[in-house]
Amino acid sequence: MSDDGVDRFDGDDSRGTDDSGRERSSESDDSGRERSADPDDPRRERFEDVDWDAIGEDTGGVTRTRLAAGVAVGLYALALAYDLVVAGADPTVAFDAGVPWRAAGASLVWDVTAVDWLFVATLLVAGFSLAPLARNRRLTAHYWRRFRRHTPAVLSLWYLLAIFALGTVGTVVIDQPSLDVAAAYQPPVFLSVDASVPTECVGPVVEGRCRGTWTYPLGTTGNGRGLLTLAIYGMRVSMQVGLIATLISITIATAVGTTAAYTGGWVDEALMRYVDVQQTFPTFFLFLFLAYLFGGSLFVLILIFGVTGWGGIARIVRSEALQRREEGYVDAARISGASSLSVIRRHVVPNVSNSIVTAATLNIPFLVLSEAALSFIGLGDVTLPSWGQTIAAGRGDLGTAWWISTVPGLFLFATILAFNFLGDALRDALDPRQEV
Amino acid sequence: MKRYTARRIAWAGVVALLILTITFVLLELAPDSQLARVQFRAAASGESAEAAADAYARRRGLDGPLWERYLEYLANLASGDWGWSDTRSQPVAEAILTALPYSLMYTVPAVLVSTTLGIAIGLYSAFNQYTKADYAATFVAFFGVSIPNFWFGIVLLLLFAVYLGWVPVLFDAELARTRTFSLANARQLALPVFVLATSAIASTMRYARAEALEYVRAAFVKTARAKGAHEWRVLTRHVLRPTLVPLSTILVGDLLGVVLSASYLVEVVFGIPGLGRLSLEAIRRQDTALVLGTTLVPVFVAVIGNLLQDLAYAVLDPRIEYGDRR
Repeated sequence: MSDDGVDRFDGDDSRGTDDSGRERSSESDDSGRERSADPDDPRRERFEDVDWDAIGEDTGGVTRTRLAAGVAVGLYALALAYDLVVAGADPTVAFDAGVPWRAAGASLVWDVTAVDWLFVATLLVAGFSLAPLARNRRLTAHYWRRFRRHTPAVLSLWYLLAIFALGTVGTVVIDQPSLDVAAAYQPPVFLSVDASVPTECVGPVVEGRCRGTWTYPLGTTGNGRGLLTLAIYGMRVSMQVGLIATLISITIATAVGTTAAYTGGWVDEALMRYVDVQQTFPTFFLFLFLAYLFGGSLFVLILIFGVTGWGGIARIVRSEALQRREEGYVDAARISGASSLSVIRRHVVPNVSNSIVTAATLNIPFLVLSEAALSFIGLGDVTLPSWGQTIAAGRGDLGTAWWISTVPGLFLFATILAFNFLGDALRDALDPRQEV
Repeated sequence: MKRYTARRIAWAGVVALLILTITFVLLELAPDSQLARVQFRAAASGESAEAAADAYARRRGLDGPLWERYLEYLANLASGDWGWSDTRSQPVAEAILTALPYSLMYTVPAVLVSTTLGIAIGLYSAFNQYTKADYAATFVAFFGVSIPNFWFGIVLLLLFAVYLGWVPVLFDAELARTRTFSLANARQLALPVFVLATSAIASTMRYARAEALEYVRAAFVKTARAKGAHEWRVLTRHVLRPTLVPLSTILVGDLLGVVLSASYLVEVVFGIPGLGRLSLEAIRRQDTALVLGTTLVPVFVAVIGNLLQDLAYAVLDPRIEYGDRR
């Protein structure tokens, strides 16, 4: 007998399902084949086990996760207030030990911008939305087993984690790339270029060819900035744009899409007609206008992408939710007396989440690409060394110094590729309806 | 169905008007660099900056109240007078009509190729999931969607034009205008079409595969097979049809977005004097009338696209009723 049986009956609204994933994992877990193949299975949950945490949550009690979330929000508010009131217009904010995971950066010079604040908030939200996975180890192990089958996706995950770490921690430690005309057009290490290309060769000149040095591992631009440093600063810009704007977008899209599908009637009509209007105005054009009006700062760019880019996702969520709405488990939940909000939250959203995850992971590379594109045509944030800007800067030197456009271009390409691999693997891992 | 269609068309008109209004207001709020220049010149030569500004506004017809100018603008628009482009010294409609063919020359082939191939490959991949062909298709899709098209364009241009010399480095607008359907023109358009198609095909293919996968193992597909339907019939009638419903959403929104925004980059990289470059130039030089004009074209395309998509939705999925629900 399957011990997961209790989870399969979705109509048994809140008791058996402590989170979105539980009811979805059951379909593949209850195949005895998989179990016998893995005798050291750590899953020890029994039919009669009661998830007291979930019940506490339902009645509005204080769980450990809620407590941690409350503390984090409190600390965040305190730090934000400190930045606004005490530090004020002061360009440098030195952190006290009060900020949990930024303690290492306390002694360093870091002006926390509005974008940085949004970024920290995004990371907090992302962290807490992963809490159910940490609580339910069995489920996490299950997802990880499914995810692990995609080798490119696992590699992508490590690559993205590296990019993320370099972009967030690295930029705090490494100084901004500085202009140095004497070091212009240095080739990357192990490569060489005709000695007439750089004004002065930093490395040795062998047989009339200037060789790259470890001083500038990836070479330099026409005004002597190290491409490695530029690339690392570019990582931060890309991560901030992609993650913050996507979080804003999927939050709005999920709320709007499920509400429209579940409520129907004039609410649906009004919401979808609004999406129509928003969709007809391509994000790119809207940004051109607003960049023209307010100047293309990164903060404005992120807000515009986040607040205007959810139309497509909302439509996907709605069309999926329309189909889910007709399912038996939704009827069952409603008959058991679940409120609309609870049905949407526990049954509709979890069951359209594969579409949401697919859409979100497609959205991140799209935003990273859009930011690079806008910087490329000179409408992005001119003060930030983003990848697109560096590609544009090297465009004129392609014949002689090909590496200037190529290095950030490759980083951009690899990052977008990694997000796509990750998204595809997640879709396969999260979709309970297909067994591989 | 008739009432539904009429309502959707009426709504499309409302949307178009709304967007025109928003655009008008946004541009009204924009700082006018030319006005600042006029004022600076007047102040530098010892005249009143205010008087100069008034004269400038009168000359450009900006002195009336906002709503009056707005109504006048809409009336002009309806009568085909889209304003005068200061930076190009020609009517806006004329500037757009000159630029539009250049954009269509590479976007139309790119969209046709990418939509057909994208859906076909996506369906094939879904039917042959986890085979070598599926992996190959996935790889192509990932490559296409991941490569930044402006960077790809630069790399291709360097490779095929500078080093190999197979295609011209500079786009010859004169050639494109006089001999549109010649081999020489096809050669210079090959790279832009290729770059645009690779980015558009990838998203179509990915979505088509993902959506089709939902139906490949569905009960009704099994039933159809059990009843002896041919693979081809299963593919077209039982999988393609339900796949097209969500896909139509994506195709209109996503593809339109990809093509419209990509046209800016592709035209900048390849030096094609099309709509994207015209619009970008207008924004840079703050030519209000031209900015508004060049936005109207993609907006109209998008409004009509959305209308067609809504109608396709109702036709393709009988579960979605076209009346008011409940």
